[in-house]
Amino acid sequence: MLEILHPNISNNNKNNIDINLSEEKIKINIRGKNKEFFTKVGKILSIILPSESNTSSSNENYDVLWLSPDEWIVYFDENKNSNIFDQLYKDISSLKFGSITDISSQLICINIKGENIFELLSSGSPFNFEKFKNNVGSSTQTIVNHIDVILHHKSKNNVNLFVRRSFSEHLYEWLVDSSNFV
Amino acid sequence: MFLINCPFCGERDQSEFSSGGEAHIVRPKQPTELSDDEWAEYLFMRKNIKGIQFERWNHVHGCRKWFNVVRDTSNDKILSVYKMGEKPPVSYK
Repeated sequence: MLEILHPNISNNNKNNIDINLSEEKIKINIRGKNKEFFTKVGKILSIILPSESNTSSSNENYDVLWLSPDEWIVYFDENKNSNIFDQLYKDISSLKFGSITDISSQLICINIKGENIFELLSSGSPFNFEKFKNNVGSSTQTIVNHIDVILHHKSKNNVNLFVRRSFSEHLYEWLVDSSNFV
Repeated sequence: MFLINCPFCGERDQSEFSSGGEAHIVRPKQPTELSDDEWAEYLFMRKNIKGIQFERWNHVHGCRKWFNVVRDTSNDKILSVYKMGEKPPVSYK
């Protein structure tokens, strides 16, 4: 696995909005659509992949977000189970049941929490957060300040935002700046 | 600006999508047998009508899936959305 170089993101709290770098997290992109794929993933992660759009599944170890009908992202704390990628890769990618890619170094997880987080996100996104904010466990892919992001409503007023590493500092600065105005 | 009902993600703003041009253009089975004009017709010539148009769109900032849209270009009204491989709704032909 590539060494994770942390972007320059420090903790910030303004207007009831906490913005923190939420590393170190392992993120794995999984793709597949056949029966063997779903069986293997279910067995290894002990979780059923969410089939409904814009939703997620969670257990004590893993969070799985729906990205598209045949694509999901699994994320979890680095200290939970570092062998899971090898297991998934061996049982799925190697046997050509699907595709498993470690994207831990590609995406940065920024945790945003507080009462005004949806006002903050709405100020830079075309996404309608009405349904999202009322449903814990919702996930979506959209744009915030013209940057592609994956959002996971982890718990009430607590969102994990995944963004490409190269955009992360810029987005963080935008979030901090914009939190002054909500 | 208008809303597009992605068949996978639901209703989203147009800015999350990218237009892929006219839909249902079939690649010729034997390109080598075509004249230059026929090949150019297939490759470059697209309709740009005022009225009902069949288009391909990609949810580029979402699920990244392609799908087809029937859109009235005169008022940007989306009349129908259907998945790739599906036949266009007969009522708009």
